[in-house]
Amino acid sequence: MWYKRTIPLLLVLAFGLAGFGHDYVPHPASNAFREEVTTGFVIIGGFALFIGAYSLFHMHISRIRRKQPGWAYSIFVFLGAALMVCLGLWNDGDWMFVDPQPGVVTSFQWCYDYILVPCNATIFSILAFFIASAAFRTFRARNFSALLLLAAAVVVMFGRVPVSERVGQFLFDSPNAFAHVSEILLNYPNLAAKRAILLGVSLGVISQSLRIIFGIERTYMGGGD
Amino acid sequence: MPVPAASLKRLAMIRHVIYLLVAAAVIVPFIARLHVGDFQPGPHATKLYKKLDSLPAGTRVLLSFDFDPGSDAELTPMGLALLRHCFKKDLVPLVMTNYPAGLDLARKIMEDAVDDSQKLWGKKKVSGRDYVLLGFRPGQVNLVLKMGENLKTAFETDYYGKPTVDMRALKGVRSLKDLKLVIGISSSAWVETWIIYGADRFGFEYGAGATAVMAPDLYPFLDTGQMVGLLGGLRGAADYEALIKQRGRGTLGMSAQSAAHLLVIVLVLAANVRFVFRRLSGREKG
Repeated sequence: MWYKRTIPLLLVLAFGLAGFGHDYVPHPASNAFREEVTTGFVIIGGFALFIGAYSLFHMHISRIRRKQPGWAYSIFVFLGAALMVCLGLWNDGDWMFVDPQPGVVTSFQWCYDYILVPCNATIFSILAFFIASAAFRTFRARNFSALLLLAAAVVVMFGRVPVSERVGQFLFDSPNAFAHVSEILLNYPNLAAKRAILLGVSLGVISQSLRIIFGIERTYMGGGD
Repeated sequence: MPVPAASLKRLAMIRHVIYLLVAAAVIVPFIARLHVGDFQPGPHATKLYKKLDSLPAGTRVLLSFDFDPGSDAELTPMGLALLRHCFKKDLVPLVMTNYPAGLDLARKIMEDAVDDSQKLWGKKKVSGRDYVLLGFRPGQVNLVLKMGENLKTAFETDYYGKPTVDMRALKGVRSLKDLKLVIGISSSAWVETWIIYGADRFGFEYGAGATAVMAPDLYPFLDTGQMVGLLGGLRGAADYEALIKQRGRGTLGMSAQSAAHLLVIVLVLAANVRFVFRRLSGREKG
């Protein structure tokens, strides 16, 4: 099975080292090689869209076939996709939407502007209701740490809205009092924690990359070892 | 231990009351046309404004609108404000997206900004000459790397199908290395991607716009100087609108956002007052 295991491992090693080495070799040949390779990556990236579409349709076909709870909603995935593909392909006789002009709204764009945008925005806006409800039910100062978190959250939330300037002016004679405290919280405790997480993640990515390049980590090839 | 039916009913009622209050807090300010008045723009928005404002006319600026309609309310006002500023200063914006579902949103923002330029300053902006809508290409990180090698082979045509090779708006721009400033507006990890694979590697300055929930994650990049400025959430958009003195959807949304934030603060405080009283009376352990 050398062609299934050895060749992929050698390719990963070669391209991994080449990608790493490119940064230290400012030769035109190295740049030309990199340009060719990135073109290949972009082409391969295009196939990811087809894999994504296949995966989505496969999942919904399975839901319909097995009559899983809520299977009828899956029909709308196909209806929506078919509608948009049809409008794209046969939009005023134009092949796809290759010749749109500034200011001209095609039926494809109309569906995007007046169906997709409001639907997506509606789904996202529901979050506000859940956050308010969850904050009321779960955000409790049960101990000192929770109290600190709660106080920080309230100050940052308040400092982010313009009305805090009126309150700051009234209470402390400084319109930016809350905004200033909010910035201090974001600039120091928040930044320190985020930086620690970033450094940890980055070290993890480096070590994982080295494990993959040198063939120690092979789970991406399937088989589990 | 099963929760009593009466408690469940009361919890459901409280939840519904909260939903109604949130709906009222968001909708009423729009209907009543409540305005929060003038406010002081934040320091990170001001830095980004000053950076863009300092560029001479004709400078090419890449704007990457990496979001889809889910983040339209927060991020579209930012994109529009930035493009208005670019057109006011006669900069040449190059707009792209890494989201296939964000393509028409980018197109709409660009067309709105072109209309505004004509209406507000009488400057007619022409595609290919004064701006380019590059559109979407697949590739993610690899697309950024490819743009760093050759932008015109990464985008051989613009959104309208016009070849980019001799495009006047792209004159003098071979790759990302030839750009002074790139601004990414994102609802995902694209800000980090642009910094790691773009700004750090190809040497351009980078500014960002992000949803409010993401903005705190980006503070380390401001501190290290890897970002020249940051617009965080709808407030960031409102700040930029105040800086360019062109009110838009960001400013309009501030009254609703203020009401919603105040409501959440009041709810949290009320819940905690109730919690403390219940704890003191021995009805709740914590």
